[in-house]
Amino acid sequence: MPKDHLITSENDREVDETRDGEPTVGRQRKRPRENKKEKKKEEGRERDRRVPRNAQQDVDLEERTAKERQRERKKDREEKVERVGGLEESKVNSKDIAAKSKKNLKNEKTRRKGRTDRDVEEGQAMHKQSKGCAKAEDNKQDTGKQTENKKVKKKRRKTVETSSEHESSEEDVDKEGEGEDEDKAEEEEVRQETLTPEELEKLKEAVDDRKKLIQALRGKPWPMKKKLTTLRESQEFLEKYEGALGKGKGRKLYAYKVMMNKKWMKFKRDFENFKTACIPWEMKIKEIESHFGSSVASYFIFLRWMYGINMILFGLTFGLVMVPEALMGRPYGSMPRKTVPRAEETGAMDFAVLWDFGGYAQYSVLFYGYYNSQRAIGWLKFRMPLSYFLVGVGTVAYSYMVVIRKMARNANETGGGDDNSFNFSWKTFTSWDYLIGNPETADNKFASITTSFKEAILEEQESRKDDNIHLTRFLRVLANFLVLCCLAGSGYLIYFVVRRSQKFALEGFENHTWWERNEVNMVMSLLGMFCPMLFDVISALENYHPRVALQWQLGRIFALFLGNLYTFIIALMDEINLKRKEEDVVQFNMTMWEASLSNETVSDNSTAPPMFTHPADVPRGPCWETMVGQEFVRLIISDTMTTYITLLIGDFLRAVLVRFLNYCWCWDLEAGFPSYSEFDVSGNVLGLIFNQGMIWMGAFYAPCLPALNVLRLHVSMYLQCWAVMCCNVPQERVFKASGSNNFYMAMLLVILFLSTLPAIYTIVTIPPSFDCGPFSGKARMFDVIQETLESDFPAWIGKVFSYASNPGLVLPFMLLMVLAIYYLQSTSKSYKESNVELKKKLQMQNEENKKKNKRAALKAAMELEEARKASSSRDTEQHHDAPHPHADTGDSRAGGNPGNPAPSPDCGGRSQTAKAPPSSARGRHANQGAPAGYLPAGVPKQRDTPPPRLQRVASGQRH
Amino acid sequence: MVSPAIGLAFLPLVMTLLIRYRFYFVLFYRAVLVRVWRDCRTGLSREERAFQYVLTHATPGDPESILDAFDAWCSKVEFISNIGPKKGKILDRLLSEQSPLTVLELGAHCGYSTVRMARALPLGARLYSLEMDQKNAAIAEKVIRLAGFDDDIVELIVCPSDEVIPRLRSDYGLEKLDFVFMDHWKKCYLPDLQMLEGSGLLGKGSMILADNVLFPGAPNFLRHVRRCGLYEWRVHRATLEYSKGIRDGMAELIYQGTK
Repeated sequence: MPKDHLITSENDREVDETRDGEPTVGRQRKRPRENKKEKKKEEGRERDRRVPRNAQQDVDLEERTAKERQRERKKDREEKVERVGGLEESKVNSKDIAAKSKKNLKNEKTRRKGRTDRDVEEGQAMHKQSKGCAKAEDNKQDTGKQTENKKVKKKRRKTVETSSEHESSEEDVDKEGEGEDEDKAEEEEVRQETLTPEELEKLKEAVDDRKKLIQALRGKPWPMKKKLTTLRESQEFLEKYEGALGKGKGRKLYAYKVMMNKKWMKFKRDFENFKTACIPWEMKIKEIESHFGSSVASYFIFLRWMYGINMILFGLTFGLVMVPEALMGRPYGSMPRKTVPRAEETGAMDFAVLWDFGGYAQYSVLFYGYYNSQRAIGWLKFRMPLSYFLVGVGTVAYSYMVVIRKMARNANETGGGDDNSFNFSWKTFTSWDYLIGNPETADNKFASITTSFKEAILEEQESRKDDNIHLTRFLRVLANFLVLCCLAGSGYLIYFVVRRSQKFALEGFENHTWWERNEVNMVMSLLGMFCPMLFDVISALENYHPRVALQWQLGRIFALFLGNLYTFIIALMDEINLKRKEEDVVQFNMTMWEASLSNETVSDNSTAPPMFTHPADVPRGPCWETMVGQEFVRLIISDTMTTYITLLIGDFLRAVLVRFLNYCWCWDLEAGFPSYSEFDVSGNVLGLIFNQGMIWMGAFYAPCLPALNVLRLHVSMYLQCWAVMCCNVPQERVFKASGSNNFYMAMLLVILFLSTLPAIYTIVTIPPSFDCGPFSGKARMFDVIQETLESDFPAWIGKVFSYASNPGLVLPFMLLMVLAIYYLQSTSKSYKESNVELKKKLQMQNEENKKKNKRAALKAAMELEEARKASSSRDTEQHHDAPHPHADTGDSRAGGNPGNPAPSPDCGGRSQTAKAPPSSARGRHANQGAPAGYLPAGVPKQRDTPPPRLQRVASGQRH
Repeated sequence: MVSPAIGLAFLPLVMTLLIRYRFYFVLFYRAVLVRVWRDCRTGLSREERAFQYVLTHATPGDPESILDAFDAWCSKVEFISNIGPKKGKILDRLLSEQSPLTVLELGAHCGYSTVRMARALPLGARLYSLEMDQKNAAIAEKVIRLAGFDDDIVELIVCPSDEVIPRLRSDYGLEKLDFVFMDHWKKCYLPDLQMLEGSGLLGKGSMILADNVLFPGAPNFLRHVRRCGLYEWRVHRATLEYSKGIRDGMAELIYQGTK
């Protein structure tokens, strides 16, 4: 079970309890002799599982407590025997053998002793068997304990002869001596047998105390170690004794309840684990997060989110557009638009052509041009053009919705908190990234925190001096100027290349080399790759905090990519215009051609002239929509290729070289010059965002784009996860990226808007091609809606729509919306203000409380002083008649407590100054101390009555 | 034929590399190009030129002024990989903390570090300085004498380190080395360290200081130190001498002995 990986909490132990706790409960209720042996075996196995935790500790403790108890029990020996008898009677119905008289009791005792001896031996035998699978260390511990057992046994044999009345206490003692190793359960049984109702009460109280302690543990001002040990001990105690509570039938029910509760918790945890396991790539991302900090992980989370969105876009286009057309539309070769033209037919299957998405790829469902303008296709009467249009609009609408929803959610999560006002306390308390699980990264983080502290202190000093601020300002301005130059340069280069490619296009691409044909894509990819590096170098001038620097970097790369993208789009627009001119010519020629055909038919008098022309021979328009789709697909492909190639060369090859040349190089390659690369968060995020923008832009003209993108994202998820783990090193300044998530989202929203803009522009303003695509023959693409309204819906709906689209109605509606937005905005503003005020109020209250607490603490201290005086005066009186062993046992107990090997200084100090406090100290220890140290039977009366006021005061001081 | 536009697209990459690794280019220029040029023009070796400068600019008998003159020459005129003033301060501090009586220096070069160490040594201490190259050793000798240290304090041994170290005990009567400073060929760090371990000259608490472990770097040496478990070690991070942007470090090892 991957419990250790996923959820680790203090409750973990309680899951284990279900396994161990159940049989204990069952065991206490009845003890049929026949089943005894088998049970023993079971218990032996259980114990084997449990022993290695703190066996050694407990053995020591058991011994000590055993001695102590021995001494105490001698006092009330007779009483004890009676009590045992009484209990035996009370449990008569739950035993096979009734023990009614003292004689019988004695018989019973001896018999039981014999049995336990046998059991012990059996248990040891079991041990020997199980040793095979146990670890060697455990073996050592066990053998050590066995020798101890033997000693104890010898002692017991002596005492057995002296008196039979010793037996009961003696047996207890022995069993505790053997306790941890063999007979913990046995001891429990014996103990619970010997419980009187009062003791049960006490036990109940103790259990409740433990529960309270566990709940309040988090708030205790103790060191972590102590908290942990206390928690563990208390939980063990609960595990042991919780089942013993309740009486008769109630006990069964109680045990059942406890068990069910635990089972339920276990189920809940398993379910959580299952849910985590269902999230794709969760473990991978967690691992990366532990190595590289949350900023790198945020990229992968973003990637996964994008993958999810693209899956849905893909589902829409694939299910509602591509599959229906492929299944129900006319087959390939039936129409001119679905056939490769005659001129291209020879090379239509070449790889080079297919790679450029020409040839057969162009004349397939992958692109806009293939779709037919037939209103309804197949036996389903599927409205293809309508579906095409609605899917195009729907994908964009869905994307808007998702992005905005995500943004709103993120905005809720990032509650206000100003970074500027409590700089140092923020740094002190919040700078550690708790998700780091790798020592190297932790070292880096440690170093970065120290340096950030140094820098912050320096900054603080400098801000007071404020003569250096001019320099930093100048440097920042200079950096921005350089970046602007860079942007302008790259923009000009792209413009130049695009112009050149237009020239080539006019001359005809066939006369030019591959390099010249792909110049635009290459230059764009290269600039997109190298300019961010240059920005990164330039931003070193600015000396920002890495989080701020990351945002600047993101902004700059955003500007670069946007510039590139829009240059590309403008070039495309030019090309569209060219194509449309061409189209007009073709259309004119078509009519001439058809006329000539008809002339021929007229002259030849044949019956069906179009039958003779193969669709491949029919002249056709350039179909600008397919051209746009192709351009986008090519861009995506080249972009993906560049990303992967950079990954392989820049990261992998470099890592390999550095790693293996380092053996024979004259300087240290790993620490020095080339070194390993760091993961470039900003570049990757922006690459992803722009990629998505291109998808949004081009998906209308190339329905295959979402599918391609899903493929790309899937591959890059695995490839980049691998590359990060294998060839990158954690950043020198690891930082948390919790705030930048919304920054990504905002950028995505902007890109979404900017990419839908040209798409909508083309859809609305440019008439579709006359001979290709689902909207051929219409004046505008959106006419398809009107058409549907007219022919497929009853007339009144069309009327309603025509009224609704009346500007007289639209304008007031818009006005209403603006008003609503204004109203909502103003209310949210007022809420914000009231929030701020509430915050202030809370702060004030906090301060008030602090003052109050201070006063209370002072008062408590005064009271404590008084109490001390009073108790010391009383104790000096007591001291004369109170026996020595009293304090003695208290001290030994405090020392023997594994929870705090050294008693806390204040309690130690008090035990010296005053004699009463040991009891109060013990009271506290009994609350938190070892489970084995608790003695339901042997607690003397004085211990449970510490001076009540004193204890209260002490606890008050503690809190 | 690759079009010029694609070539231009590589300009940002070139600029990035130039800016990011500017210190390395500057170092290359100063340490190699200038040196070759001056060697051709003057016909003197680099060390001789440095000595001439020191002779004309420093006060004889004053180690401080000699060190200052060296620093000035190395940072303004040409580049010699002395330990430099910044890392030198670390060296001074360690020496004053340790106050060793027997010191071994591997690689005296021009005698800069020898002078630096000799002036920080306590009374009665003795420094053995090894230099492999005859010409450099001659200059180092002159520099040391110029600083006013005689044979009792500094003994210059002109011999490769791998020959001298096994003979140290027999020929020079050394029992234990308190402090070893390594600044010779980076490749010799590891074999020399192993030789020192084998010779038994290192006792508990002996300190070994190795310069330039990050740049040019001695990865094998560091790996050995990390793995063998004989040392308590740390790396003092600093920058390369007379250069701001190149990171370098000095490894400080304290011999713990086999346990």
